[in-house]
Amino acid sequence: MSHYESPIRKPLVTGDKSYHDVTLDVVRPVEGKANKSWWVVFSIALIAFLWGLGCIIYTVSEGIGVWGLNKTVGWAWDITNFVWWVGIGHAGTLISAVLLLFRQKWRMAINRSAEAMTIFSVIQAGLFPIIHMGRPWLAFWVLPIPNQFGSLWVNFNSPLLWDVFAISTYLSVSLVFWWTGLLPDFAMIRDRAVKPFQKHIYGILSFGWSGRAKDWQRFEEVSLVLAGLATPLVLSVHTIVSFDFATSVIPGWHTTIFPPYFVAGAVFSGFAMVNTLLIIMRKVSSLENYITIQHIELMNIVIMITGSIVGVAYITELFMAWYSGVEYEQYAFLNRATGPYWWAYWAMMTCNVFSPQFMWFPRLRRSIMFSFFISIVVNIGMWFERFVIIVTSLHRDYMPSAWTMFSPTFVDIGIFIGTIGFFFVLFLLYARTFPVIAQAEVKSILKSSGEKYKKIRAEKGEDAKLYDEPEQEPLPDFSAQFNSKSNS
Amino acid sequence: MSSEKKYWKSAEQLKENSPLVEALEQKEFAEHIPADEFLGDKEKLEGSQTSRRDFLKYVGFSTAAASLAACEGPVIKSIPYVVQPERIVPGVADYYATTIANGFDFASVLVKTREGRPIKIEKNKEATGLSAGKARVYGSVLDLYDIKRLQNPQIENRDVTWTEFFASLESDLKAKADKKTYLLTQTFASPSTDKLIKEFQENYPNVVHLVYDTVSDEAAVDAFAAKYGYRALPNYDFSKSEMIVSVGADFLADWQGGAFDSGYSKSRVPKNGKMSRHVQFEANMTLTGANADKRVSVKPSLQKQIVVEVYNQIVGKVATTNLNSALKNQVDSVVSSLKSKASGGAVFVTGLDSVEAQAMALEINEKLSSRALDTENPRLIRQGQNSKIQTLISDMKAGNVGALMIAGANPAYSLPNADEFTAAMANVDTTVSFSMKKDETAKLCKYIAATPHYLESWGDVRFTKKDFSLMQPTIKPLFNTRQFEDCLLKLNGNSAKYYEYIKANFKSTYEGLSWNKSLHDGSYVFDMDLPKTSDVPAIDIPAGAKKLVSQSDSEGLELTLYTKVSMGDGSYANNPWLQEMPDPITRTSWDNYVTVSQSDAQALGLENSNVANGALNGDYVTVTLGDKKLEKLPVIIQPGQAPGSIGIALGYGKTEAIQEEMQVGVNAFPLYQNFDAHQTVRLEKVSGVHEFACVQLQHTMMGRRDIVKETTLEIFNTKDKHYWNATPEVSLNHQEVEVTSPEVDLWDEFDRSIGHHFNLSIDLNACTGCGACVIACHSENNVPVVGKSEIRKSRDMHWLRIDRYYSSEDTIQGDYELKNDISGLNSAIDTYGDLENASEGDLQVIFQPVMCQHCNHAPCETVCPVAASAHGRQGQNHMTYNRCVGTRYCANNCPYKVRRFNWFLYNQNDEFDYHMNNDLGRMVLNPDVTVRSRGVMEKCSMCIQMTQKTILDAKREGRVIEDGEFKTACSSACDNGAILFGDINDKESVVYKKTQDDRMYHLLEYLGTKPNVMYQTKVRNTTEA
Repeated sequence: MSHYESPIRKPLVTGDKSYHDVTLDVVRPVEGKANKSWWVVFSIALIAFLWGLGCIIYTVSEGIGVWGLNKTVGWAWDITNFVWWVGIGHAGTLISAVLLLFRQKWRMAINRSAEAMTIFSVIQAGLFPIIHMGRPWLAFWVLPIPNQFGSLWVNFNSPLLWDVFAISTYLSVSLVFWWTGLLPDFAMIRDRAVKPFQKHIYGILSFGWSGRAKDWQRFEEVSLVLAGLATPLVLSVHTIVSFDFATSVIPGWHTTIFPPYFVAGAVFSGFAMVNTLLIIMRKVSSLENYITIQHIELMNIVIMITGSIVGVAYITELFMAWYSGVEYEQYAFLNRATGPYWWAYWAMMTCNVFSPQFMWFPRLRRSIMFSFFISIVVNIGMWFERFVIIVTSLHRDYMPSAWTMFSPTFVDIGIFIGTIGFFFVLFLLYARTFPVIAQAEVKSILKSSGEKYKKIRAEKGEDAKLYDEPEQEPLPDFSAQFNSKSNS
Repeated sequence: MSSEKKYWKSAEQLKENSPLVEALEQKEFAEHIPADEFLGDKEKLEGSQTSRRDFLKYVGFSTAAASLAACEGPVIKSIPYVVQPERIVPGVADYYATTIANGFDFASVLVKTREGRPIKIEKNKEATGLSAGKARVYGSVLDLYDIKRLQNPQIENRDVTWTEFFASLESDLKAKADKKTYLLTQTFASPSTDKLIKEFQENYPNVVHLVYDTVSDEAAVDAFAAKYGYRALPNYDFSKSEMIVSVGADFLADWQGGAFDSGYSKSRVPKNGKMSRHVQFEANMTLTGANADKRVSVKPSLQKQIVVEVYNQIVGKVATTNLNSALKNQVDSVVSSLKSKASGGAVFVTGLDSVEAQAMALEINEKLSSRALDTENPRLIRQGQNSKIQTLISDMKAGNVGALMIAGANPAYSLPNADEFTAAMANVDTTVSFSMKKDETAKLCKYIAATPHYLESWGDVRFTKKDFSLMQPTIKPLFNTRQFEDCLLKLNGNSAKYYEYIKANFKSTYEGLSWNKSLHDGSYVFDMDLPKTSDVPAIDIPAGAKKLVSQSDSEGLELTLYTKVSMGDGSYANNPWLQEMPDPITRTSWDNYVTVSQSDAQALGLENSNVANGALNGDYVTVTLGDKKLEKLPVIIQPGQAPGSIGIALGYGKTEAIQEEMQVGVNAFPLYQNFDAHQTVRLEKVSGVHEFACVQLQHTMMGRRDIVKETTLEIFNTKDKHYWNATPEVSLNHQEVEVTSPEVDLWDEFDRSIGHHFNLSIDLNACTGCGACVIACHSENNVPVVGKSEIRKSRDMHWLRIDRYYSSEDTIQGDYELKNDISGLNSAIDTYGDLENASEGDLQVIFQPVMCQHCNHAPCETVCPVAASAHGRQGQNHMTYNRCVGTRYCANNCPYKVRRFNWFLYNQNDEFDYHMNNDLGRMVLNPDVTVRSRGVMEKCSMCIQMTQKTILDAKREGRVIEDGEFKTACSSACDNGAILFGDINDKESVVYKKTQDDRMYHLLEYLGTKPNVMYQTKVRNTTEA
């Protein structure tokens, strides 16, 4: 590790931290006691989760009829929530895998939590395909397992089956990748633990990490391999989710632009959720020196770019509907923008296309409050995007005689709130028991993150002159040579 | 159970003072059990140990034992036949020909019975009389299994035996011999019943027989009697007509007994470039008007003028009319069309309840020498003399009536002055009701004779002068019931059974006919004279015409009362199939309502609105007619309703002997003053909104020509198919090719070379939208009833629905053109906005039955993760219920939206307390079709149980299946030949020829789903001629 520090690089860790400081900062929430506000938030999340669980039990015992669905709109909040949660999950994989491959070191402060978010949101997402079934107790029938029903097999043509594979692969790869990264950090907690119970648990969790050079070498290798595995998943999972719609015949679903559009949208919403979570976490867990304004700014830039991609996709859809000359397509998009669900469409447009454009202004994208606000807005917008795609396409499709509307029941709403509760229950537990920053990795960049210049900045402010321009020697006069050459 | 029984334990007990018995009384066990020693020794007890393992074993055992004890397998009691009936083979259906004749519906039917249970009413194809093709007739089988039926005769609300019943009744009747005894009955149209009543009158000379029709056609009967001398209704065969003009006659529904639609449809299918032209003048939007080539909405007062005007121009001037010029022009053109069919191809009918108007219609038809009008074989199915009811009431009031016997009628519900009637009933000591249910009338009667359903009864019916039909029981009476005729026999002191009576009657009357054959066939033809009626006053047409013309605009709105094809006169009110059947026009189920025109609604501030889940709401009004007031009737704004007029359906608002779920609507009979369907009423908006259960919330087709193709007769005759029924094309290598051609197909074709390949053809010209197929499908396929609140949530379970579209412009063609003229975004927004709303002026209506299209390239099949939706060799798209996990992906991806999801458990669930929730009602279920559980998708199966049966029967008999043998419930239910089913691998079959027809198209063909259901383009005869 070179100790040369580039003067133009902004520091990734501020606050003049030593290795030990990093350890203490990361381990503080784990070793300390939860404060009152944690308990308050945790209780709210738990109540929401239990309420959602009650609604799920009610659904399974009574039938899907307790939701607001009907003969025309067969999916609504269930699949909207599914796609929304899967999309949120995308940022974690992108941060930890793609940015690892691209050697983006700023990811180190946020990848742990981003990936935790991925796993927790994929768990929420995975609930919906199961509970939306009319007979969820037979959900295992979607798995291609040998059975006693003769040669009965799953239908490999069905995008819903591809979903099963995509989501389960995604969850397992993400989980392994996350855990691999956690091993040295669990080991650190284990080594510091004084209570035998804690030591025991963290001992198990760290899989016997010893810190030998061989461990580190394997760790690096496995991380790289898993990053290589996870990177295509970033693209494939949401591509496959988009196939649920793209391979159908319903106007508004049957669109070839869906795979890239969904992936961009997923990254968009995922980064927004990372921003939401980390802006709170850096404050609550005093991690401002690790999750800096610069991190937030970089994520805002990603949000801005992916938001714009999504915006282009929306406009492309409208263009294609017009250009196709197919009246059903044209009507489907006209109906989205001007039909009975116009408000959902324009909520989506406002939240997803217009609001990220504020991030062009450096002042705004460095504002913590504003970033937090936009991150919430973006996630609302992305929920509406899925609602718009699913419900407004279905509610008025080919046969006008079947046109109707959808309105959620308390159970629809309860289950959605329940998953948010469940997500936060998991995340809050994680925040108090897991090392929320990949401290082993962060320590590796401590010395290369501009220690010297941090100090200059600290003394003289952000715009301080960090280095002197080297004086340039005048060039020798070649004219004589040139002239003589031409003459000869 | 407290019982005084003594249980012997041993012979020792016989001995007195046996020490052993005494000892046993003290101690429970003969041997000593050392419990005291064990429990008493505290030290030992404390010393004994239960190890943790043992403890867990005990806990485990007791938990398992307790939970096992709680589980009890359901016990299904089935009793084998002690003596196997000869004819009943388990699993094989028996068919019996019989007849429905309930006073409102008359038809020859074929009853399918399984294991002795009637489960389905079918059309009796060989019958000569009235055909069954009506939703109500098909639905009537469910009334047999109605839990609200009376199970025993009652005297003063107390179940009694028939012996006691008759003993008491006879003594009562004899005691009242000095006063009049009124016998108030429905129209039986039964020679034997009539004879029996006569005999009854001979035995009891004080008996006055009064026939009462709930919905009266007395005017038409009187007009016919005045002209032709018989109390009967004229018969019409619309298949013989080229020009049909109807002024307010809803002849495709219940006008004069109905069942005119099959003849009508025959004339509506273009053949050799010709089809009939139908012009309808009417106030309500009716089924008939919806099928007309030209519909003119005019309120009843103007209809009267039109009848007079047509009479003026065809027969001779009788009165001066004051029609406005636009209407006058229309009448003129209609008259010239009528006159131009000199060969008798024209027919004129009217629905006005006026003797003069009916007489004028008969004169007009005579003048036109109409072939459609049949006066030789008149209908006898309406014989009511409702005008005489008032004498009955005044007699009752005056105390002249000693006994009132009511059979097959429910005057306390259906009389306009029911209050007066029920009040007068208090003056009658002996009141008898012969009724299947304890309805509004029976409830007030001292005696209720529980009668059987027609499927448990004997009878003979004379539909028309020549057409007779026999009624035979298809099941042993379920309850302790006795049919009216058997009761009369008993009262007449005749010990014969009614079966013997009609048989004897048959043998003595119809010479040369075989009883067995006639009973087997269900119907027979016999030309026998009708009794002439002499006491009919002559009709003064000029005076009547002046009266009709003079009834000018009065204050208020002109009401036309009508009956729905689902509910009829209300006797089916406890039938959940029929309650849930959407009205063909409004597509609203579980309700009656006031239909008002857009302009009147605006004037009165009435609105229809849709709530967040799309469900329809409507304002309430109070309808006032004189001193009668109907409170809180909901309003539906009806496109095509003549301004200044309203419509209300009869047959709703029943409350007695009816399940709470089915107590819907408001009884409109109080408005049926003088048994005239046309009244002038006042409407007043009242507060509150009504929640409708409407299954179709978008009323127009949005100009989508891929859904219903329509053209005019002129274009059809003169232009190439590609002009009016082009197959959509796609570009392949810059060449336009038809979407149906294999080279643009994404999928491989199925191998159809072996076996059958079923196709279904629906002729939009022949379909009148009556909905008979919907109920037949319900009955065949055990389709669940979900109730009003679920229908309101757009969760109807109908496998087969009949979509009804209004035009947004004056014509459907206008819609197509309007949509084609869209250019630019603003124009698109405006035009689509316009197209969403039905026309407020003249409009056209189109019906389209839609069931699963059984696509060869089905979008539902590819998306099911568990392959529960799969393709069959014979062209069906199969739905494997027990494989379905219920993702609903297939329903979403179905472009036709025909898949239906079981949102809840619809059978044996108290939340859905319809016929599938009680043992009696479940008897109607078809054992060949699975009752679906909750959480699975279901849809039309093309009645695979029926096609398989046909195949297996032919296989067993070792023969080739003939064309026409393959049937579905809908195709065999359709009276009009609109639905045809068959095997297209048989190139001689009718359905194969349909695939080659120029009019053939597939629904949403451009999608390339290649359905096995096809439609025949609708052709409208718009030529003014």
